[in-house]
Amino acid sequence: MTKIKMCGIMRPEDISAANAIKPDYIGFVFAKKSRRYVSPEQAAELKAKLNPEIKAVGVFVDAPLNEVADLLKKGIIDIAQLHGNEDEMYAATLRELTGKPVIKAFRLGTAEGMRQSGAGLDYSCSTNDTEAERTIRDASHFPSDGVLLDSGAGTGTVLDWDTLAGFTRPYFLAGGLSPDNIKEAIEKLHPYAVDVSSGIETDGVKDPEKMQAFAEAVRACDREQTERTKTMSEKRGRFGIHGGQYIPETLMNAVLELEEAYNHYKNDPEFNRELQTLFNEYAGRPSRLYFAKKMTEDLGGAKIYLKREDLNHTGAHKINNVLGQALLAKKMGKTRLIAETGAGQHGVATATAAALMGMECVVFMGEEDTKRQALNVYRMRLLGAEVIPVKTGTATLKDAVSEAMREWTNRISDTHYCLGSVMGPHPFPTIVRDFQAVISKEIKEQIKEKEGRLPDAVIACVGGGSNAIGSFYHFIDDPAVQLIGCEAAGRGVDTFETAATIATGRLGIFHGMKSYFCQDKYGQIAPVYSISAGLDYPGVGPEHAYLHDIGRAQYVPVTDEEAVEAFEYLARTEGIIPAIESAHAIAYARKLAPTMEKDKVIVVTVSGRGDKDCAAIARYRGEDIHE
Amino acid sequence: MNRIANAFENGKAFIAFITCGDPDPETTAAAVREAVKAGADLIELGIPFSDPTAEGPVIQEANVRALSGGVTTDKIFGLVRDLRRDVTIPLVFMTYANVVFSYGTEKFLRTCAEIGIDGLILPDVPFEEREEFLPECRKYGVKLISLIAPTSEQRIDMIAKEAEGFLYIVSSLGVTGTRTKITTDLGAIVSRVRKNTSLPCAIGFGISEPAQAKEMGALADGVIVGSAIVKRVAKYGKQAPAEVGAYVKSMKDALRELSE
Repeated sequence: MTKIKMCGIMRPEDISAANAIKPDYIGFVFAKKSRRYVSPEQAAELKAKLNPEIKAVGVFVDAPLNEVADLLKKGIIDIAQLHGNEDEMYAATLRELTGKPVIKAFRLGTAEGMRQSGAGLDYSCSTNDTEAERTIRDASHFPSDGVLLDSGAGTGTVLDWDTLAGFTRPYFLAGGLSPDNIKEAIEKLHPYAVDVSSGIETDGVKDPEKMQAFAEAVRACDREQTERTKTMSEKRGRFGIHGGQYIPETLMNAVLELEEAYNHYKNDPEFNRELQTLFNEYAGRPSRLYFAKKMTEDLGGAKIYLKREDLNHTGAHKINNVLGQALLAKKMGKTRLIAETGAGQHGVATATAAALMGMECVVFMGEEDTKRQALNVYRMRLLGAEVIPVKTGTATLKDAVSEAMREWTNRISDTHYCLGSVMGPHPFPTIVRDFQAVISKEIKEQIKEKEGRLPDAVIACVGGGSNAIGSFYHFIDDPAVQLIGCEAAGRGVDTFETAATIATGRLGIFHGMKSYFCQDKYGQIAPVYSISAGLDYPGVGPEHAYLHDIGRAQYVPVTDEEAVEAFEYLARTEGIIPAIESAHAIAYARKLAPTMEKDKVIVVTVSGRGDKDCAAIARYRGEDIHE
Repeated sequence: MNRIANAFENGKAFIAFITCGDPDPETTAAAVREAVKAGADLIELGIPFSDPTAEGPVIQEANVRALSGGVTTDKIFGLVRDLRRDVTIPLVFMTYANVVFSYGTEKFLRTCAEIGIDGLILPDVPFEEREEFLPECRKYGVKLISLIAPTSEQRIDMIAKEAEGFLYIVSSLGVTGTRTKITTDLGAIVSRVRKNTSLPCAIGFGISEPAQAKEMGALADGVIVGSAIVKRVAKYGKQAPAEVGAYVKSMKDALRELSE
């Protein structure tokens, strides 16, 4: 849903009109030079009459910080929008003082003086960028809760689609919008919110008819979009614009056969009984939802529960998907499983299922990862699998996926490709998600039993995104539950050494799917980096890309350093050594929990156990241990 | 006017694939000109991609060499402009979906039309996803070439009916690369294609020897050779164009025997 902001509200009759039309936000302009200026006193009176479901945004141009903070604290405004030369420090201080959201505005075209120091080393940018491209890049990185892009010249068409194509952060679109051009703007740019002021005025004052027409045009656009999305996703395994089946013709009948088999067995009571027995008796489900009392007390905020996927057989959530797919493959008459693996957890799980079900197993693993995760290589071989080190490209997870796909085109009739994450061509993102959804199904039951209510936030780490989608899935239709995915930022999203796809990537087509990918301006896939071999992937599953697009889930970058600290913290505080992947989620919980009230509840998924990571973390800390 | 049909007017067509920018654009241009002189009827110009999932080791390595040499899509457009000063045979691009999508599908195909590219082969875009690129291809008169695989079976009818330019018949399972033996029943596949379209069929994947070319050429309207050419570029580097020319001549000569 595209949010609507109506700015420059000045009179009680404007408030009445807004209450009837219900935009998501209204704006008070506190810049004295503006003809729409309202004083704090006027704003207080107007806010008292405003429907509390509508948020009031205060618009400022280089106002003294304490004035802005005061308005936020008194509740006269709910959000501050900064239109001047306010820098990162200003925004951060304001947030710290008030705990309220801050939106930073960027003007395109006349960007000089608006730019801040937040410019990062965006992989896709060269030195001869236009002014607009630089502003876009700054806006991508500015550490505020939201950004507003003002087209400046007032037509709404000044914004160049090509310039904005790489801008994946949700934003407010402003500048020259009106009931007449809003449809085109939304269809072209898909902003998070649209901001209108003069476009809903007649003779300099707000016109209720134009306000109504504007809101109706936005909502009609959304309805159309929903219809289109529905048809598309029903037809071809799409999540919004993401997903699809971008694979060689050689594999098409194989994925069609898989889809048909899955659609048959997913509703087959016997198949589901068998899978449930494997989950319970073999994998050790349901996994515990553990109240982390010491961590909660230490952080002094929201109550923290850990979903203990690390306690599953083989030590990670990967077994959920693998047992499902191996059983399905067996029903399809396949005798051989192939798989890619990053950290080795999915490879170990696949080798385990193959051993259990008497199937042949070949695992492709980046050569770099075979070194980082030598213990898992040994485990796979012990379980009877053949491990093939992949030397091409960056010799990490993406290359292992490519090589597994190549092998599948080579041998299809007896082989099932057991993909380990919610990625790749349809139907894999759906199949893997359905098998992993057991995580959120259990969380929901367990938290209702322990707390008698739903959690306020669910946090999980995201590489391809299988444990995250599993943790989110049964909460997607509960809008009160905040869903947070933690991406691996490596050495930071402003460096080249990152794997934070949603923060730094852009729309592309790779490994069978349309989604967000880290890539250069010519579409060459970027060599990504993270300390965590399991999150070291340049793309993200299509359903996550979609949840990001519609604003249902939030994706935050977490650096190596933060993850390693969280790894050590959880070990010390709760006596639980998490996988370095899962430590990314723990790290964000450490930041979030203290900002929340004590009666709030956070669930963090500990996707795997950290034994495999001990040697690498020791090396990170400068200690060389021999196992 | 689209030139692809011309490729099939001189007996059985020989289609040569070469990775652009391997090891540099000048060598590619010289190798293309040698291939044309030696009788190639159509050239597939590969735009390198960082992660070519349909390629075997030979073409994967060519992609690495080309990209580390600094070639880009824009430089390859420049290369084609240069070639079109004297090369009149049909030229098609072979690359991966993301290279086109990321450049901007509209802008990519508009440029193709401007510089004289006649077709586009995207091995990771099957029939079901053609709509992603087809409207722009049609708008600019660039043929989106469809592939048919040994596993296509019932899908052949649907693909062939809607095909444009020519049909690329993949000879074997797996990725590109030379093979000693091709075991697929290609005769049956070609005849199923012919029931649905009058467009020419060319067989590719695994063909490297003149005898194989003759055998495959007897079944179809042309053969496509990639890895065997790229191998020569890898081996001879800047000296490769003459070697490529001699090789193309041996292959085209073998095909000529079929028309006699």
